[in-house]
Amino acid sequence: MLLELDHVSKIYGDLHAVDDLSLSVAQGEWLAIVGSSGSGKTTLMNIIGCLDTPSSGSVTLEDRALNDLNAGQLADVRKNVIGLVFQKFYLVPHLTAVENVMVAQYYHSVVDEGQAMEALRKVGLEERAHHLPGQLSGGEQQRVCIARALINCPKLILADEPTGNLDGANEKIVLDLFRQLHEQGTTIIVVTHDALVASCAQREIMLNHGVLVAERWNDEEARKASEARGGTTAVVRPEGASDDAAADQGNEGGGVFVDPTKAAKTGGTTR
Amino acid sequence: MKGRRGRFGMGTMTNGRMFTIMILSAVFRRRSRAVMAVIASTVGAATLFCLAAVCIAVPQQMSEDMRSYGANLIVTPVESASSSANGVDAAMVTHTTEMVEAKTPAKVATYRYETVRINSASYIMAGIDSAKVKAINHHWSVQGSWPAPGKVMVGSDVASALGLKIGGDITIAYRAADNGGGASGASASASSSASSTAAPSASSKDGRVSTDILEEGGTSFTVGGIVDTGGSEDEIVYATAADLDKLAGGARGADLIEYSAEASGSALQSIADSINAMTSMGVKAQTVTKINTANSRIITMLQTLFWLVSVVVLVLTFVGVGTTMTSIVSQRRNEIGLRKALGAPSAGVGTEFYAESPMYGLFGGVLGTVLGYGLARVLCAMVFERALPMNWPLAAVSVLCSIFIAVIATIRPVRKASRIDPAVVLREE
Repeated sequence: MLLELDHVSKIYGDLHAVDDLSLSVAQGEWLAIVGSSGSGKTTLMNIIGCLDTPSSGSVTLEDRALNDLNAGQLADVRKNVIGLVFQKFYLVPHLTAVENVMVAQYYHSVVDEGQAMEALRKVGLEERAHHLPGQLSGGEQQRVCIARALINCPKLILADEPTGNLDGANEKIVLDLFRQLHEQGTTIIVVTHDALVASCAQREIMLNHGVLVAERWNDEEARKASEARGGTTAVVRPEGASDDAAADQGNEGGGVFVDPTKAAKTGGTTR
Repeated sequence: MKGRRGRFGMGTMTNGRMFTIMILSAVFRRRSRAVMAVIASTVGAATLFCLAAVCIAVPQQMSEDMRSYGANLIVTPVESASSSANGVDAAMVTHTTEMVEAKTPAKVATYRYETVRINSASYIMAGIDSAKVKAINHHWSVQGSWPAPGKVMVGSDVASALGLKIGGDITIAYRAADNGGGASGASASASSSASSTAAPSASSKDGRVSTDILEEGGTSFTVGGIVDTGGSEDEIVYATAADLDKLAGGARGADLIEYSAEASGSALQSIADSINAMTSMGVKAQTVTKINTANSRIITMLQTLFWLVSVVVLVLTFVGVGTTMTSIVSQRRNEIGLRKALGAPSAGVGTEFYAESPMYGLFGGVLGTVLGYGLARVLCAMVFERALPMNWPLAAVSVLCSIFIAVIATIRPVRKASRIDPAVVLREE
């Protein structure tokens, strides 16, 4: 397994942002984390991305326990293993597209403009390489952000609402890029509100108030492959269920899976 | 849309080159923010340079002006020496002057005093080099002209007593008998004066030496000018040294050497001491303490004022630049969080800002120094009526100060920035 979370909780005072969550993600898997606002998606992503540490439980990335690492060591893991894609892009406004990509190289190892240009070519932005972010459209900025995430060949791409600020056309371009990365064997974890984006993933998990309440495999072959590799599905605790009940339900993945976007709009639930 | 290739050049990219690009981009592609930091540095540097330049130039001007109000060091023959009656010969004047100028630049003038007869009454006549005496005594109020060949300048008391007008004629006679002790008497009188140019304080009213002997004859001179100083100079008749030599029937040494030296206080006293230590020279030196002390006090006061104002300006500049840098760092909070999320160590983030802030200090320092020089030049021209030359060492100090202040003012905001939690970048929605 590339990533394993074992009974991870993140507690702020009385608030359980992530509550006793266990999860395994295999190398090359595409996982979508869905849930309404405040469900703990971003907190979970910060923990997985080594930007935050859990209050309890353990996180293992590439068989390396992250709990005992200090800030500097976590930064090393972050730059060596993880590629980050943000909803708001977070490009450095005074650097050109290619320079923004090279910033990731700069902090990782050695700057190579040729590689940076190649990454931009992959996302279809070679011609826009020397434009400042302010001169690029939202979709183009997100593609620069993806090129920056890819440049150091990370094993895990963490994307937080990557299509949240994009129109339909640009959303399709970004999802196609993720598909290509997935086909190349890159592990992708996407946090999203969007059912369409989530459905592109092999597996979806749903959070509610920090609790993993549902899991759904969109790719049966992937599920079987995962099980064949000895992988386990997430421990799902239906809302209101006790820990024992959740344990009884085990890895069945039988929670009610709600389209968060539709549920938010209608107040109802759908399967 | 046109791209930005080539602004900082790409060439072969290295980490060092990337670092340079990041710093230059932050400065030149974010001009509005950079301009604020540069303006803060510029204002500080301009104020500092202007004040410093004026405060350095003004004491110099004061010192020069003070020296033009008379000598601050006088040298007379030693009374008991055999050379006293013949004055200080030219070689000794040169030697003494060399001793003074070895320690500080100085202006020099010599005086030969003789007793002469005008309308049978005795007066003191001084043989001088007009240009040199004028250079030391700017404060003398002279109507008409200074002594020239055939022309004398009479003291206002003498002119009043004799009813002399500028352009009128005056007949002056020299009697050797009058000068048996006249020269030395004048010299002695000169050496006892500590606050003026040490002209002889003649023993009588209006500069006349009492006599009942009526004498006729003499040399005719034109009254070229009338001098009024309010001091003993008003009782003397001034002629060129050559005219007095001719009138007296021969040349002899000076009865008094005046120096307007650029030294003051203990430095000036040490010059006098060094001359007095050379007893074989047959001369005695003494400082004119009144002007010297006033000079020192004013200069010290101005220098103290300079330091006080400079410290205030430095503090204000520090606050201004610090506030601007804090604002810049605050505005780049997300960028700092992003860099840390990408794996930048806290020290790396700090290094980038520490490399950026000196550039603001450099640009602001250079601009401010140029501006400050312009202001100081205008100020000196308007208030002190003198040109202000560029003080390059001060300019270098001004620029270095700006850079130093920019770096120091960056420490606190950068420390704060380096503690930013990168997770905030992801938390923001």
